[in-house]
Formats: sequence, C-alpha cells, structure tokens
Amino acid sequence: MATAALRWRVMAASAALRLALVAYGEWQDAHLEVRYTDVDYLVFSDAAAAVAAGGSPFERATYRYSPLLAFLLLPNSLLHPAWGKLLFSAADLLVGLFIDAILELRGVPAKARVWCVVAWLFNPFTFTIGTRGNCEPIVCAAVLWILICLMKGRVLQAAFWYGLIVHFRIYPIIYAIPFVIVLGKKYVGPAGRPVLTQWSSKQQLRSDKASEIVEEPTSVLATLWNFLSSLITRDTILFGLFSGSMFFAWTGVFFYLYGWEFLNEALLYHLTRTDPRHNFSIYFYHIYLHHQQGFSSIQRLASFLPQLIVQFALIIRFSRDLPFCMFLQTVAFVAFNKVMTAQYFVWFFCLLPLILPWTGMKLRWKGLACVLVWMGCQLHWLMWAYLLEFKGQNVFVQLWAAGLVFLAANTFVMVMVIRHHRHTPLFSAPARPGTKIAAKRE
Amino acid sequence: MAAGSGPCLLAVALLAAAWISDASSSNGQAHGSQQYVNCMPCSRTYVADAHVGSLARQLSQHRDLTEVPDTADLCKGLADELDVPALSEVHRQLVGEGSHRRLIYSVKFGNSKDGMVQFLDGYDASLVLIEKLPRGVFADPFELQHFVERKVFLDVAVFGDTNLELPSALSNWSAVEIHFDLKPSTSMGYNLVIELPLHARYPPLDASDYATVEFGSPDLLLRYRRKETHPDSCVCVLQNLDATPVEKAAWRIPCGDKAHTGFVSSLTFISALVCSMSIVLAASLTP
Repeated sequence: MATAALRWRVMAASAALRLALVAYGEWQDAHLEVRYTDVDYLVFSDAAAAVAAGGSPFERATYRYSPLLAFLLLPNSLLHPAWGKLLFSAADLLVGLFIDAILELRGVPAKARVWCVVAWLFNPFTFTIGTRGNCEPIVCAAVLWILICLMKGRVLQAAFWYGLIVHFRIYPIIYAIPFVIVLGKKYVGPAGRPVLTQWSSKQQLRSDKASEIVEEPTSVLATLWNFLSSLITRDTILFGLFSGSMFFAWTGVFFYLYGWEFLNEALLYHLTRTDPRHNFSIYFYHIYLHHQQGFSSIQRLASFLPQLIVQFALIIRFSRDLPFCMFLQTVAFVAFNKVMTAQYFVWFFCLLPLILPWTGMKLRWKGLACVLVWMGCQLHWLMWAYLLEFKGQNVFVQLWAAGLVFLAANTFVMVMVIRHHRHTPLFSAPARPGTKIAAKRE
Repeated sequence: MAAGSGPCLLAVALLAAAWISDASSSNGQAHGSQQYVNCMPCSRTYVADAHVGSLARQLSQHRDLTEVPDTADLCKGLADELDVPALSEVHRQLVGEGSHRRLIYSVKFGNSKDGMVQFLDGYDASLVLIEKLPRGVFADPFELQHFVERKVFLDVAVFGDTNLELPSALSNWSAVEIHFDLKPSTSMGYNLVIELPLHARYPPLDASDYATVEFGSPDLLLRYRRKETHPDSCVCVLQNLDATPVEKAAWRIPCGDKAHTGFVSSLTFISALVCSMSIVLAASLTP
C-alpha cells in the first residue's frame, strides 16, 4: 500500500513538474531572447495552422513528419499554443505508467518499479524534451504499449499500433525482426497464452544461444531451418500482414491527400537523409567533405555496414529478451546513424528502466562510471559544437574527433550493459515433453 | 524545387528594385530633393511582388527593362506638394558571433519633428528595406514571421532560395523585404533601429579555413498612401530614399578543408567498424 501511494506521489510530482515547466516555457518565450520552446514545435504548430486553414502541413518548410502530428496539434491553433506541449507531457507520464505496468507483468517488486519509473520521469532529458514541445514521448508511449500488447497476447492490437507508429516515425521498424521472433512457435504456452518469465533476484545468466544449443544439437543448416520454420506461425503472419496493412493504409491515405510532397518529406527524406551540418553522428564531417561531389556506392555501403552488422548481432543474440534487445538495438541504431541529435536519446531512455531490474551493475561505481563517461563525452562534443556554431571558430576536426569519442562512449556503455545483464527471455518457452529443458525443469 | 524556383523569384525581386532605381532617374518627377519613383495598388503588399508578372515575362523574352509599362499615371493626384521624409543617416552593422548574427540598421530621418508628424498625420507610411543576401547566408522566413506577429515589422517576405538547410554550394541567392511601420510617435524621434536575424550556411570547402561573405548595399524605399482613400482606388507611392552608401558588412564563416577528406573518411569508417565489432564480440561472449 505504501509503495502504491509512493507511486502516485511520484506521478503527481512529475505532472506538477511538467505543468510548471510548460508555464515557465511560456514565460521565457515571451520575455527572454532565447526561447525555451523547441524550434521543431514551431514547425509542428505552423503545420497544424496550415491544416486548420484548409491547407497541407507540408506548406511549412522543414515539416518532415506524418500529417497525423499536425492533426493532433490542431488545438494549438484552435485552443491554445501550449496544447501540444501538454499532449507530449501527458504521453511522457503515460510512458511512466507503461514502464510500471511492464515491470509488474514481469514480476518486479513494487519498490524496485518505483525507482525504475523515477529513472524515466525525473530524467532531465525526458522532462525537458516533452515540455519544450518535442513529439518523441508519443512514439515512446506507443512502443511501450506495443510491448504490453505482446506480453498480454493481444497480437492484433500490437500490429495495429506497430503499423501506425512505423508510419509516424519510421525508426521502430528496427524492432520488426525481434517482434516476429518472439511471436514464433515459443510465443504461446500450453494454455494458448504467452507465459512471462518472472523476475527473480537470483537469476541465472543464460542466453538464447545456450538454450538453443541444448534444444537443437544438430547441424548449422538444420538449426537455421528450424529457426526459420519456427517463425511461420499464425501469430507472426497475422502480425506481419496487419501491421504492414496499417502502415500502407496510413501512408496511402496521406499520399492521396498530399501527394508526393508527403512521400518525399515524411518518408523518403528520412530514408535518404544525409546532413552535412554538425550533429553527434561520426559521419557529419565526412558528409560535409563530400557534399559537393556526392558519395560512391562503396562509401554508402561502408557507412551502412556497421549499423547492419550490429543490428543483426543483437537480434540474433538477444531477441528473446525482448526489452533488452530493443534497448540495445535503439542505442546502437542512434549511435551508428548518419544523423544523431539529442532528441533521439529519448528513444532508448524509455527502454532503459525496463532492463534495470536485470542488471548486475551496481550504481557505485560501474553504473556511475557509465553515466559519467556518456555525459562527459557528450559535454565534450557540445563544447566544440558551441565554439563552431556560436563563436565561429574553425573546429571541424576537433568536433568530428569528439563525435568519434562519443561513439566510443556509447560502445563502452553498451558493452558494460551487455556484460552485466542477467539474460532473461521475456516469454518462458512452453514445456515440450521430451526436450532436455523440459526434463531439467521438471 | 525551392532551389530551382528561387533564382527566378530573386531575379524578379532584384530587377524590380533596379527598375525602381532606373525609373527614379529617368521618369521621376522632381520634387525638392526627392523623386517620386512609382506607384502601385495598395492591394499589392510587396514591392517586388508588384512587378513579378511583367518582369518574369520580360526575362523570358529577353526584353529591355525600360519597356516596363509606365505606371506613373497611377501617381496622378498624389504628387502634390509634400514634405516627404528624407533620410539623413543610414548605418548598417553585422552584430554577433558564430553562425547566427543580426544585421542592425540605424536609420535617421532628416526632417524636422513637426514635418514628420504633419506628414504622418495625412499619410500611412512605411519604410521598405530590401537586403540582397549573398549565397552563404539566409534569413528564416518563419522566424521573421514571428516578428510580424509581435508587431516588430509591419510585413516581411523572403524571395529567392528559402531552403533553410542546404549548404552554400547547393543553394542560391535570396533577398529579404522588410516593411517597418512609421507611426507619428515622438518617443522614437524618427531614429529607427531594425534588426534582421541571419544564419550562415555551410560554405564550400576551402583550404583557407574561413569563407568570407560580403553584403552589398540595401535598398531603402518609402511606401506611403493617403489616409482617407477608398480601398478600391487606393494607390501607394514608392519612393527610393537614395540612401547614402552604408558600411560594408563581411561575415567570416568557418569551412571544411578538402585536405581532411582522406583521413577523416578512413578514420570514420575504421572507428565505426571497430566499435561495431566490439559490440558483436561482447554479445558473442555473453554467457
């Protein structure tokens, strides 16, 4: 009871903090030269105003999102300009509730859950992002809701939201393969429902690889065949077809309404984006140095290959521990992306609390070392970026080198997290009579 | 698209300004030290916009600009004896550091305070400033629009290449037209200060570390109309204020060096590969 009260106090305090920040943002925008509001929020608002006036959101240059976002922000023009910030902050709070719900389903004790929720709600990155008017909390909430749906066996609903959110923000497409893998033959238990592996304070370090070897001691080809055939189930086909239909339906509707402008700006732009302006990505200076002559096919492949290798390695090794796999995939995707801005960090911050109860890393000192290395390298990059952008000093080489150091920091944190994680499949494999695992358990 | 249509629009804007200057010397009616330049219907907001159609046609047919139909008859009745405000001082200064700076214009009218008040009692007038922006910098039309909403500017428009993201090598020229309301306010003493926020584009690669962007002289025009006019027959007079040449403004923008290409590209790819392999290794070695 005490922890339930604590949880609601945390939620109430978070809501109050966000309301205060939205109000403060209004004041700062009106009185100070430097705006609190994110420049993207002005873009969304202008796009929403264009829709309210009967036009296209793409009339607003640099609006590169689904028209759904402009529709969601229509009250910005009709009610109050701060509507969107309240909406994003509400999504931010919803993410806190979803983190709690996911951990509860996985059997994490209430007290530990509260700390995990706090790790999201009081993370300075997250509460400022929502209140400054960034739409990422909506994407985070949708991703966590999809996870809840999968955990509860609601495959069709998960597919609905997945198709919608990939249309909305594209990057969650990286979760497609792990989703299909968990929806494979081991998804449902004997009762026809998924069985969740419950949290335990003394879990064994065990990976998919170990269980696969015990279960399938055959040749590589046979293992591969078994793996691929395990992916063809009613659930995977339903999920694939329905989410794909949702994606194409939304895309089709907006293509019908806004034509190629929508397809180019909201979809193709993100797939082909190369930004020569400085950002956290290691590729920015390379892109700037080549922007006048273009890129060769080998250069394109070379910048795509590390991303691809890491994604596949993580999926192969950790997909059954779904939240952990999603967290690592997202960190890697952001770290190796050709464009990286601070708002992308929220994509993995919302997944971080989902893996904390399974980490063997103590805050003192390894955990703290990870936080300090990551923050320190980011601040180091920001210092050079400040000198370039606001002081006009030619520090391109230093800034690019700081980007390499930040990638090294991301890699260090990922390796530390992997090494200290207690691997726990999200779903317990259904006990099949005759297998060694089943025999062991019995 | 923006880059393609940008040069045409800009050419139109610049040629409009050039035409106005030509007209002031050839067809203008002398009036004291001032010259009436041209007139346009009040429904046309921008100076450049008023001539878009005819100038675009001329450009496509390679005709001489002096063939522009004369609109001097529109000015009939407006060329009464007037003490039209004249500029005594114009200063321009580029302020700030880094990629985001401001061009600050200080404009002083030479008329007596009473003369200004008398003129503004009978006429709605605005100062029109047209700044031609070199390739390396751009003005954000959406940012400027917020100045209009806050009533800092009466109106504003950006012509030419309004793409906010492209580097200089892939972008084109642009021009900003700002309308600043002249009110019979005594507090200002008719010394106006106008701030135009500008942003640097990434310049083309150069071994000299910095690219220098220089601004030409702005065009300053006075746009006015009688206060009591019927909306259908409303005509605005445009007068080139023949501003004295302003200080040159130059902006040094850091640029990348092509000599860095080899080691930057190879080290970038090696780092990405090493980091990706470290993650793969850590994942593989997990018990």
